[in-house]
Amino acid sequence: MSFGAEFIDYLNYNYTLLIVTLGTGILCLASGVVGTFTFLRKRALIGDVISHAVLPGVTIAFMLTGVKDPLYFILGALASGLVAVWVVDMVQKHSKLKPDTILALTLSVFFGVGIVLLTRIQRSGNAAQSGLDSFLFGKAASMNVLDVQLFGAIALINVVCIFIFLRGFTLLSFDEQYAKGLGFKTGWLKTFLSVLTVLTVAIGVQAVGVVLMAALLITPAAGARFLTNSIRKMLLFSGLIGAISGIVGAVISSTGTGMPTGPWVVVCLSVLAFIGILFGKEKGLIARIRLRNQNKTKINNENVLKALYKMSDDGQSSVNLNDLKKHDSLESLPVQTILNGLRKDDLLELVKGQVVLTEQGRIASREIVRKHRLWELYLSKYFQLKADHLHDDAEGIEHVITPEIERHLTQLLEYPDKDPHESEIPY
Amino acid sequence: MSKEPTLIEAHNLTVVYGRKPALWNVDFEIPGKQVIGIMGPNGSGKSTLLKSIMGVVEPTSGFTKVYDQDIDDVRDRISYVPQRQDIDWDFPASVWDVVSMGRFAQRGLFKRLNKEDQDIIAQSLDKVGMLSFSKRQISQLSGGQQQRVFLARALAQQGELFLMDEPFAGVDISTEEMIIDLLKEMKEEGKTLVIVHHDLHTAQSYFDWLVLLNTRLVASGPVSEVFNDKTLSDTYGGKLTTMSKITQVLENKEFPIRHK
Repeated sequence: MSFGAEFIDYLNYNYTLLIVTLGTGILCLASGVVGTFTFLRKRALIGDVISHAVLPGVTIAFMLTGVKDPLYFILGALASGLVAVWVVDMVQKHSKLKPDTILALTLSVFFGVGIVLLTRIQRSGNAAQSGLDSFLFGKAASMNVLDVQLFGAIALINVVCIFIFLRGFTLLSFDEQYAKGLGFKTGWLKTFLSVLTVLTVAIGVQAVGVVLMAALLITPAAGARFLTNSIRKMLLFSGLIGAISGIVGAVISSTGTGMPTGPWVVVCLSVLAFIGILFGKEKGLIARIRLRNQNKTKINNENVLKALYKMSDDGQSSVNLNDLKKHDSLESLPVQTILNGLRKDDLLELVKGQVVLTEQGRIASREIVRKHRLWELYLSKYFQLKADHLHDDAEGIEHVITPEIERHLTQLLEYPDKDPHESEIPY
Repeated sequence: MSKEPTLIEAHNLTVVYGRKPALWNVDFEIPGKQVIGIMGPNGSGKSTLLKSIMGVVEPTSGFTKVYDQDIDDVRDRISYVPQRQDIDWDFPASVWDVVSMGRFAQRGLFKRLNKEDQDIIAQSLDKVGMLSFSKRQISQLSGGQQQRVFLARALAQQGELFLMDEPFAGVDISTEEMIIDLLKEMKEEGKTLVIVHHDLHTAQSYFDWLVLLNTRLVASGPVSEVFNDKTLSDTYGGKLTTMSKITQVLENKEFPIRHK
């Protein structure tokens, strides 16, 4: 073989690889986008049912036609997927079975039939059957360029349809009754969304297989939900998470080490979704831990300020550092660290073992004492609580009261000057 | 004297969920009164009645009409406020997004909202005191604020007849006062209000006309005639023993409630 022919082979191989990788990316992108509505309509398990239910459709299509034509596979998958959705709806309407039972039953019946048929095909020794195995775990590398073009085109059409009907699908997912009340044909919208979902599943199983398809439908949306509060951005992120995972999965499985695509796509999906859950702007785990820590610092600071206020006679005198550390309310707190922080904020000064509140510190400490006593007064007035039950609750709530709520409280209580223990409320 | 035009008519309306009747042979006509209350205990079919009028649930038998017409012919004149609790408020949407749904009736599924729509949305938000919250994610709203958003969405529909499902349920006092003021204002503008309500104390002061339900119709008439001890104890005194026995048989023995 000449060098030239080898090079062309190499290019061809890379071209195929590129196309298959891109194709898988597009399939998974479509799953992320379409799956967002499956997720928002709380139909994650229906996604699982559909993906298992396409198997009998695919096998029957093969048995009827005897050829491994992706178009027949998709038609078969679409038919049996829609039948499964219809069965779930009908059984739900006409029986007393609970939804989880119906979903579990439908899934296993369809999948069981699919596996039986698949085994029959394998036993029959039909040479062309080899491709059918890949429906279980997905094998992107077994797709040829023509397959990829067909699947990619369908995936893109699905994505476009979602965006064209974005208003209808959003309204359907958020408030179906209102959509009906506005006179929209919700039955039609639901059917259309089901068709899009089943189609997406039918082509998605080519990449990741029947067993893992539900993950491809739901995981991107679950991760994306942590990243944004806008449905458009959520669709975008969800599609992106799907596409990246699809590409990574295809590349790894094409290395020829016999790696199936599906599991790698799902591993990648899970990592990305987990990153979303960790780093999401407001809802993410880290953001919430950070907020909790900020609150803890705030509570510590305010507790020290409050103790200082009481010990210094409204901030008029200085307080001995050791006395402060021994104060009942500050036991087991890192008082020195807290004081350093407060000094940085110019709320107090440390001079020779004495703590002196600055003007700013005086205002801040008075504020927290005021909130504490206002809340005690509110509790005693509206909660029917005795005087000795008020303090503990106020210890917690004093840190939560915003300026807005404080204004509301003072108005409600008509600018009181004494708390229920006859202590003065400082303004 | 000519007969007053009928606002809402229910004719032998029966709605069955599964095998359980939620409404049973409810038959009434409401003349063109302005503020109509639908009252009854929990599970008495109040919401179901409203949903049947809106065409959201299909009646098992019988029918409802609004302005003497089929609901589909008069939808553009009706604004609907479903029950706040029926919705998952953790949905990725802002206050503005939700209120703009009120304009979809006019714009359909595809047409973009124009400047006029934007103005109407902003005005509606302003009327319920939520304009400054328009970018707020809806999961961060309090119950009262959620209710205001739903009212704003209905206002944005610009109907003349408002069907509201429990607008006062679980809201704070200031929201309740705001809603009362809003309803008064709407009344002065000549709007018709149908309100599913549960608080007996306020019924007399709010409504001109009252529909009392307990799966069956107990009474329908002007508040002054209908609001009395007899009807109230019929409405709230529990289900009729015979009726609940029949319901039991319907449910357990697979009998149909209607032959068609």
